[in-house]
Amino acid sequence: MKLLFIAFILSAPAFAQFEHDLSGNIEAQGRHSQNNEASREELFQDWNRDDFYLMYGNLNGKASYNNIRLESNWFARHSKSSLYEGGFLATQAYTFPNRLVVRDMFRMQHIKQEDDYKTESILNKLLLGVDFEESRFVFGRMYINYGLGEIFNPINPFNQPTGLTAISQVAQGNDGGSVTYFASDKHTVDLYVLGDKSINNYDGSIDRTIWVHGEVQATEDLNIDYVFGDDQKRYKGGGQVSYQFEEAMLFSQIFYQSHTTHDEISQNFWDALLGYDEQLTNKWHLRLETGYQKKNRFQNPLVFGDRFLPTEYFVALANQYEIHPLIEINGTIINDVKTGFTYFITKGIFSLGSNVEAEVFAFLPVAKGSDPENISQKLVTTDVGMALRAFF
Amino acid sequence: MLRKIFGKEFVFCVALGTGVNNPDEWMKYAEKEMRGDSSHAEMTMTIQTPNWTRTLEIESDVKGKKEALSTITSPAKEKGIRTLRLDNNMWNYFPKLKRKVAVSSSMLLASWMGSDFTNDDILKASSMNEDYDHKFAQDDKEFKVIENTAKNNSKVMWPKIVAYASKKDCLPRMYKYYDKENTLKRVLSFDNIKTFDGHIVPTLWIMKPEDDATKSTTIVYRSLKFNTNFKSSHFSQKNLTGN
Repeated sequence: MKLLFIAFILSAPAFAQFEHDLSGNIEAQGRHSQNNEASREELFQDWNRDDFYLMYGNLNGKASYNNIRLESNWFARHSKSSLYEGGFLATQAYTFPNRLVVRDMFRMQHIKQEDDYKTESILNKLLLGVDFEESRFVFGRMYINYGLGEIFNPINPFNQPTGLTAISQVAQGNDGGSVTYFASDKHTVDLYVLGDKSINNYDGSIDRTIWVHGEVQATEDLNIDYVFGDDQKRYKGGGQVSYQFEEAMLFSQIFYQSHTTHDEISQNFWDALLGYDEQLTNKWHLRLETGYQKKNRFQNPLVFGDRFLPTEYFVALANQYEIHPLIEINGTIINDVKTGFTYFITKGIFSLGSNVEAEVFAFLPVAKGSDPENISQKLVTTDVGMALRAFF
Repeated sequence: MLRKIFGKEFVFCVALGTGVNNPDEWMKYAEKEMRGDSSHAEMTMTIQTPNWTRTLEIESDVKGKKEALSTITSPAKEKGIRTLRLDNNMWNYFPKLKRKVAVSSSMLLASWMGSDFTNDDILKASSMNEDYDHKFAQDDKEFKVIENTAKNNSKVMWPKIVAYASKKDCLPRMYKYYDKENTLKRVLSFDNIKTFDGHIVPTLWIMKPEDDATKSTTIVYRSLKFNTNFKSSHFSQKNLTGN
């Protein structure tokens, strides 16, 4: 028996597959912002021009031993601007997503805001996963990524799109456990049981989220996602259908959220999205997203909460073009068809080496919104900025 | 003398046995050796242009002729970019953007990551053996020259590929790719033959476009494992996005 044990120990390295990986990025960013008149006069955002500096980075770790893996992401950000001293709201947009972990059962974040700076240190991911032939178990803080929407992705309430921000390389973590069942080559089901802290008006209590996400490849070209569950004290459900044409992809999402399940005054929501995505040429990628998100009448309109997109009905066109293998430009224009609010975002990304790139960006509200109720549109500032990004 | 004995030209390609005079057998052998039933490869790709050079490290998994997954592992800036092929569908995944982009069939001939290789090359979407008819062309001194013409019903990117296979080990040393106008568009050369898991494989691949002599892309295979057992979920959209 002892010999057998020794033989097992000695032979273990031959069977074991230990792999590990450490990677990350660091970015310094500066922007010059100009406030708009409506924000100054109507919303008490009494500033005209200001600068905003931030530095942020991610450290990703991964270690796996056969079918067991440990993954982590540490996100840290330090931002500095006199806008903090005045308590002005624009800083929320510049650092979105600023409540990265809304389901933080494990309390793995530290945020400090004083004087003219804010420092955030957050473990966005720390999970233990075990993979089997037909299933996968994950426990800890995890990313939940699904859905094809880049500007608006309503079927996924666990990870906000950052398509309209200058922040990249950020994903939001969620605490709990998940089981993935690979029912067949063409059907996968995820069950999530998460700790659930209210995004708005957090009163210190943690509920639970029970969520099912399924992915079905119905035909060679047709994919269907379905979601349903109980989250943020609401019953929610919906789905996504995507169809792959010869040249392009068409997709749509619909998502419904009930009134709150607790005895409080609330409203229901429904959101819809229709999207078109085409790689027009080897260098030109085009995306069109149009949709509707029902406004939250009970949320403080001056707070960027769970819905960053300050539009109700919108059409967005995003183009990405590679001028040169080392230079890429992006342009996104989004229009609220109800209010007329139009926002143009452009970015130029220049590769400065195998692991360094620079970005110049501009965020331009080119047309004001006419809806007096849609206050958050007035908060959108005009910004130009630069970023230097390094990967390791 | 040998020519007299065998009645035809003698070649040292013992691996082909009696199939040495059949062009189908040459192409079948090359595909069997270089592709296998399933494989996991680690390679370095260097893209060379007059103004810049870019080096990528890639891991490539292939199972049969319908499933393939490639992942960039270096440099850090591009790390995690993945390309998946399932049947006739292809997707790219860009982790920085968390974007999954479907690659339409019209993009198969498009460059992969700015290299001289195409999406079709990287994902091994075409099978020289199944998609082409083969015939011998005029022999070269060192090479068997095999002209591969696309079958009528096959959906391949190149109507004609001329393969130059070594008469010593029966493996290709060069592919010449021709377009519909029968114009030579690019040349892929193979060198540095090594053995992995009983498969004889060229480990240095150099692709040169004909219209620009200053450009080239080199692939060096660092390691190659054949008959790899992949999980059933390995070639899935779920695995593509890393969820």
